[in-house]
Amino acid sequence: MNEGFLLTALATAVVLVVAGSVIALIVAPRTKNEQKGEPYECGVLTRGGTWMPFRVGYYLFAILFLMFDVETIYLFPWAVVMKGMGMQGLIVVGLFIVILALGLAYAWKKGALEWK
Amino acid sequence: MDIASITASQVIFFILAAVILAGSVMTVVSRKLLHAAVYLLFVLLATAGIYFLLNYHFLAAVQISVYIGGILVLLVFSIYLTSQVGEKMDEPGIVKKTVTMLISMGGAVFCFWVLCTGQFPYADQIHLNEIDMHAIGQSLLGTERYQYLLPFEAISVLLLACIIGGILIATGNTKKED
Repeated sequence: MNEGFLLTALATAVVLVVAGSVIALIVAPRTKNEQKGEPYECGVLTRGGTWMPFRVGYYLFAILFLMFDVETIYLFPWAVVMKGMGMQGLIVVGLFIVILALGLAYAWKKGALEWK
Repeated sequence: MDIASITASQVIFFILAAVILAGSVMTVVSRKLLHAAVYLLFVLLATAGIYFLLNYHFLAAVQISVYIGGILVLLVFSIYLTSQVGEKMDEPGIVKKTVTMLISMGGAVFCFWVLCTGQFPYADQIHLNEIDMHAIGQSLLGTERYQYLLPFEAISVLLLACIIGGILIATGNTKKED
């Protein structure tokens, strides 16, 4: 990569962003009223605080998602060499997925997938 | 360092390092949990950027998909589960602050000392070539020497244990609440 080009691009990006904000700060008209502080400037007024704890049900799904997310990462390298590995690779990854599917089956049986 | 001799990858590295440093400090200093999680997001993203810079594409993909897509989402969910979400945490006491500062300064000094006095004989033998995904796939799924099929399958058992453990803990708590 051309260093001069990179530095020029970087400087241009910084200058453009900073210039935009500074010019807006100087010339833009500003009004202040209470409605500006609302979560939605138009529409129904919100009631109560917007910060509240979630249900634990979300957490279960997050854990399950994380586990199968990690599984996906291990499937990436296999997907690249799948054709070369042939039947052996398929069996090996099949075993990998079956073991993880046991976890899904456990979650199913425990009722973790139902929204209570 | 001479300005003219700085290469593009060095510029990118410095930007990433600055983001990591600033993000790490803000993560620790931030008084709101959710803000800390967002700063951590920037730290992890910049770390992934460094992996990309080193041509470790697979590692960068893992960093983004597991740490940012998984761990951080889990972290945000667990923050939302707490009742003090959105509230500022208490300012730590003077003792805590001093001890933390001493420990982190000690760590920084130690790192600096190692960097200054240490010998890195293998540093110039590292070739920053892209690590081929084929090589990773072959070594994960093969059964020959320097190939790791058994650990690969063991990973699935470990993940299974994690799933069951997570479900057990999470559902156990809900039953107590009912």
